[in-house]
Amino acid sequence: MCGIAGRILREPGPVGADLVAMMQAMAHRGSDSTGFALYGPTLPEGFVVRVVSMNRRRLDQDLETFHSILKDHGSDFLSDPTWDGLKQRHVSVRMTMSEPTSDFSEWLEEADAIGGFEIQSVGRSLEIVKDVGNAETVMEKHHLGSFIGTHGIANARMATESKVYPTASHPFWARPFPDIAIVHNGQLTNYWLTRYRLTRQGYRFYTDNDSEMIAVWISDQMSRGLTLEDALKLSLTEMDGVFTYLATTPWEMGMAKDKWAIKPLAEISENGNMATATEEQAVRKVYRRHHPVINYDGPAEYTTWACRSAEAIAA
Amino acid sequence: MTVVTVEAGDRPLREVNRDIRSLASTASEIVVTDPLSRHNLAVALTEDTPVRILGNVGYYCGGLNSGGVIHVEGDCGWGVGEAMAKGRITIDGYAGMSVGASMRGGLIHIKGNAGPRCGVAQKGGDIVVEGNIGYLSGFMAHTGRIISLGDAGDATGDSLWEGAVWVAGEIKSLGVDSHPVEPSAEEVAEVEELLDGLGLADSTRDWKKVVSGQRLWYFESRDSSAWLMI
Repeated sequence: MCGIAGRILREPGPVGADLVAMMQAMAHRGSDSTGFALYGPTLPEGFVVRVVSMNRRRLDQDLETFHSILKDHGSDFLSDPTWDGLKQRHVSVRMTMSEPTSDFSEWLEEADAIGGFEIQSVGRSLEIVKDVGNAETVMEKHHLGSFIGTHGIANARMATESKVYPTASHPFWARPFPDIAIVHNGQLTNYWLTRYRLTRQGYRFYTDNDSEMIAVWISDQMSRGLTLEDALKLSLTEMDGVFTYLATTPWEMGMAKDKWAIKPLAEISENGNMATATEEQAVRKVYRRHHPVINYDGPAEYTTWACRSAEAIAA
Repeated sequence: MTVVTVEAGDRPLREVNRDIRSLASTASEIVVTDPLSRHNLAVALTEDTPVRILGNVGYYCGGLNSGGVIHVEGDCGWGVGEAMAKGRITIDGYAGMSVGASMRGGLIHIKGNAGPRCGVAQKGGDIVVEGNIGYLSGFMAHTGRIISLGDAGDATGDSLWEGAVWVAGEIKSLGVDSHPVEPSAEEVAEVEELLDGLGLADSTRDWKKVVSGQRLWYFESRDSSAWLMI
């Protein structure tokens, strides 16, 4: 039983604070770990990279290795890595890098081979932040309250089948597609088969989590020319199990829900802004006055919402 | 006897419900303001003092009701009136999944549409939905009536025991081991009498009553096709 939420702002604004408020309202659905995929200002070049290193004492060494792999692929830091100065064993790192001149997937595969140095997201505007604890704990540690962006998604996790781990919560990045992320409430039953097929196509999976597979599957479909909406629709028959998930790109957010109609989602849209969450009471944290609510209660539902990326606004 | 206001807002839900329960014996009506779609509002009421909630409520509103009369001026989330024994709940708008789940008695009246699994595992009482009922309505209902004045979704009456799903409009599809029967004039009169009490009488309705085919009641290996439909 997880809680998921999405928020779209017409103009760049406090998307971090809004999602934290919505996720804190669903803390009862799982507070083992909480994660956010936020879309901030779009970089004119290069990528924002979010990493969680599992061993603070090895951080210097790992960053040096990461840096040398970047250079091998014709890339470099655009800004020096920064990280939290806490005393926890795991450490969250943020940096920006220029685009590799070699194949992106090849660079990523080498970088992913650094053990215990987990790349959470790579994107022009996407930043994935996840950690143990409830939404407010994660917000305070990672300063999400002041994050200004255009849209984002979030997940609160109750671990039922695997251990509590700083990087075990959602969102998941659609490795290796920059700027695509997913949050998911449910369980897939055809996970291994679909993952196997994707692995045969050359995709690599960083976790055994079914949500990571949905992210890669959706992105693979879009790389073949499907729109997000078409991919969401196709997932209703290609994914088996109970699920409601939210997928985001810099330009669009979408939801899809299985044919068994188990996992809920409620939405309030107003004046170009949108809030959606597993529970309506979480949406009401950002819309306290009455607004018409759309409930995605029925079987096999899907929809998309347009997002206005910060790049478009700047242009 | 007076009308008393109880503010929900961000207050602890137990306090709100304690206020509603303690005022029920003295007030003539309780008005709950700013419900903010919160869960578990007005649960386990025993007095029939009207409770009017001004706005949308979350999950399990009026759950375990034992005589309370609740009117929600808005939508409700999952499981409205779950496990209620008696009393009446009225929802002005849309009702989410599992209306009256496991209810044993009383009346739930939805003026809008109802979501999936309306009346799931119902064990008595009546659910009246003026709009449509969703997917899997009446799923595993034991007894009682689920009455829709609109249409019914896919898999209506799936795995029914002895409950009945009454539909005035169209049924999109029937569930496993359920089928429509012609209701008797006496049964129709009883349903119309109930609806008359809600101001919804209309003798021209073409009722379809969906009941159990009784093939799932006992397991018979030679009858496995019925089980494999699930």
